Amino acid sequence: MVTLDRLEKRAIGKVVRVDGDDAIAHRLVDLGFWPGTEVELVRRAPFGDPIQLSLRGFRLALRKAEARRVVVEPA
Amino acid sequence: MSKNPTVVPPPTVALVGRQNSGKTSVLMHLTRTAQHPVNFPGSSVERVEATATIPSGDGTPVEMRVVDLPGIGSLEAISPDEQVALGWLHTGEVDVICAIADVGKLTIELALVQGLRELGHPVIVALTKVDQLDADVDAAQLEDLLGLPVVIVDALSGAGFDRLGAALLAAARQKIPPGARKIDPDEVARRVIRWRTIGPRAERRKHLTDRIDAVLLHRVFGLPILALVMFGIFQMLFVGAEPFMGLIEDGQAALSSWVSELVAPGALQSFLIDGLINGVGSVVIFVPQIFFLILFVSLLEASGYMARAAFLLDRVLSKVGLSGRSFVPLVSSFACAVPGILATRMIDDERERIATIVVAPLMSCSARLPVYVVLVGTFFPSGQAGLVIFAMYALGIVVAAVVAWLLRRTKLKGKHSTLMMELPTYQRPSLRVVRGQVGAALREFMVTAGTIIVVAAVLIWLTSYYPRPAEIQERFEAKRALVVGDDEAAQGKRAELDAAERAAYLEQSALATVGKAVTPIFEPAGFDWRTTVGVLAAFPARELIIPTLGVLYSLGDVDAGAYDLASLSHPDEDDGLRKKLKEATHPDGTPAWSALTALAVMVFFALCSQCAATLGAIRRETRSRKWPLFVFGYMTALAWLAAVAVYQIGRALGAGGAS
Repeated sequence: MVTLDRLEKRAIGKVVRVDGDDAIAHRLVDLGFWPGTEVELVRRAPFGDPIQLSLRGFRLALRKAEARRVVVEPA
Repeated sequence: MSKNPTVVPPPTVALVGRQNSGKTSVLMHLTRTAQHPVNFPGSSVERVEATATIPSGDGTPVEMRVVDLPGIGSLEAISPDEQVALGWLHTGEVDVICAIADVGKLTIELALVQGLRELGHPVIVALTKVDQLDADVDAAQLEDLLGLPVVIVDALSGAGFDRLGAALLAAARQKIPPGARKIDPDEVARRVIRWRTIGPRAERRKHLTDRIDAVLLHRVFGLPILALVMFGIFQMLFVGAEPFMGLIEDGQAALSSWVSELVAPGALQSFLIDGLINGVGSVVIFVPQIFFLILFVSLLEASGYMARAAFLLDRVLSKVGLSGRSFVPLVSSFACAVPGILATRMIDDERERIATIVVAPLMSCSARLPVYVVLVGTFFPSGQAGLVIFAMYALGIVVAAVVAWLLRRTKLKGKHSTLMMELPTYQRPSLRVVRGQVGAALREFMVTAGTIIVVAAVLIWLTSYYPRPAEIQERFEAKRALVVGDDEAAQGKRAELDAAERAAYLEQSALATVGKAVTPIFEPAGFDWRTTVGVLAAFPARELIIPTLGVLYSLGDVDAGAYDLASLSHPDEDDGLRKKLKEATHPDGTPAWSALTALAVMVFFALCSQCAATLGAIRRETRSRKWPLFVFGYMTALAWLAAVAVYQIGRALGAGGAS
């Protein structure tokens, strides 16, 4: 298991859990980071941060610090 | 309404959905009218209201009040804005909730809809962005599974909005709350969306948006492409606005000469021409640029590219406590801070938004350019001109970075800075939405900023026109009487006397008296009293320094519009103001201006808050008096400090030449 920001480019992970109980964690859940959801790391921005993800058919940009909250099981 | 007690208020629809769900399009299509922002009672959180006219069953149109709430992602309030918006949903003011659901994110939208149905109001689901999906969506089945009315709407064609309006009106009249029903969002989405291609992932990979993003978000080419796009926009902006600005200047000149024929010379004529027409003119002259800028920003936003710009630059801007979302407002401010400040509306974090607003006026706007051009062309060799002007732009950017960094660590310290931003599917912008945004921005500029500039311009006119002692007139009448004949030389002499008379009046006017009184404050920066008066006159709008200096140096009318970048290449062509500035002396005979003074004045203009329109926009956008005052205070203080530092350090290093 790794945190989402550590996924390789183009790799897919299955969400295991979202860490924390603050605003960031709640927002991540609202955005669909539910256990079992497949997330793909599409690319990193020119300076390595933020990262672009794909989940549930839409594209999302997260800073690495935010992505670190999501624990995934690489597929 | 109070005259007729039987009139019931129109039913109220609450538009609820997350950001980017297409809420704004739904509002614009439903209402087709001007929208106006209103604050929630007792708070500074804003909602947008408009009236929709719906044809009811018996043919008579019925009005509905449509309230667009701030973006909400769930029924659990996280930000204070969400708290206020959600609190309002619990009140009896709401008759029906219109849940805006982006079909591309159907599962998470359904989770939100499930929360909304528990509030006890009727819920209608508006499905948006169906055209962006390579799939068929079974709305009837979704209705069955949810037990709620579902309407598919298309922002581009406008299809479905009549049905949505009718469904909302019917639900608002019946007011039957939806019952509870347990659903599995994943399961429902799977059954309702029938992919035309093999499966979601294959579909996404082939998607046009992803192919475009492979280029536009490329690790190496992404940033150069963004630079090119912004450069192109600025080119189109200046080229597009120029003919209109020329027309406005011509119109202003024609109007002035018409008034000067109609009204006898005197206080009334001067008030109409130098006060009113000049004041209104200095508002209207910005309209073409603001129009094009808002148009381009709105197109970028609606097409989806804005989010990409934010993605590419987030890392850089996060270093100073801003985010990628600040990029477009800040870049827009290089043309004009007013539309730049309006563009901050897309920043959802309030503190980050205010930090962006506070530093946006430090970007060197197009009104500063004539000031730079006049002074650089006069006091610097043409080989250095570009470098000096570039340094002024760089100064603004560096100071903005420092101010933003400081603010985000003190007064505007946020609990957490986030990006969490959807990169929407590229789409053709909806004309109605773009037109609505451009129209609203222009109206707001004309009303809020316009009023302030006109009032300030009239105030500057009043103080520069009065008092008018008879002694000056007598003195110049006597001199004019000495000029005989009507040949060219005599006419030239008379024009010279007229200009000298205007200068004599201005020199003892209230404005000049104030200017002379505050000159000691500006002396450490190397400004003489004339420059000081010019600086004071420029507080409503920067470019006013040029006509003011023109009058003070007895030149008659000098037009700021004459000083564009092109004029830098031929600074020696007859240029009254530049010649006069070089020749001007202190009372003791030493030159009043040097390259060092010019540099100090430019630095002052680069940093100073000399724009009533910007302050008005800040007042409006932050809904407070505190922030415009703060911006005025910190920028003016910084400008003074920097101008003094430049002059004193320059003097210590032996530059400047003055005694």
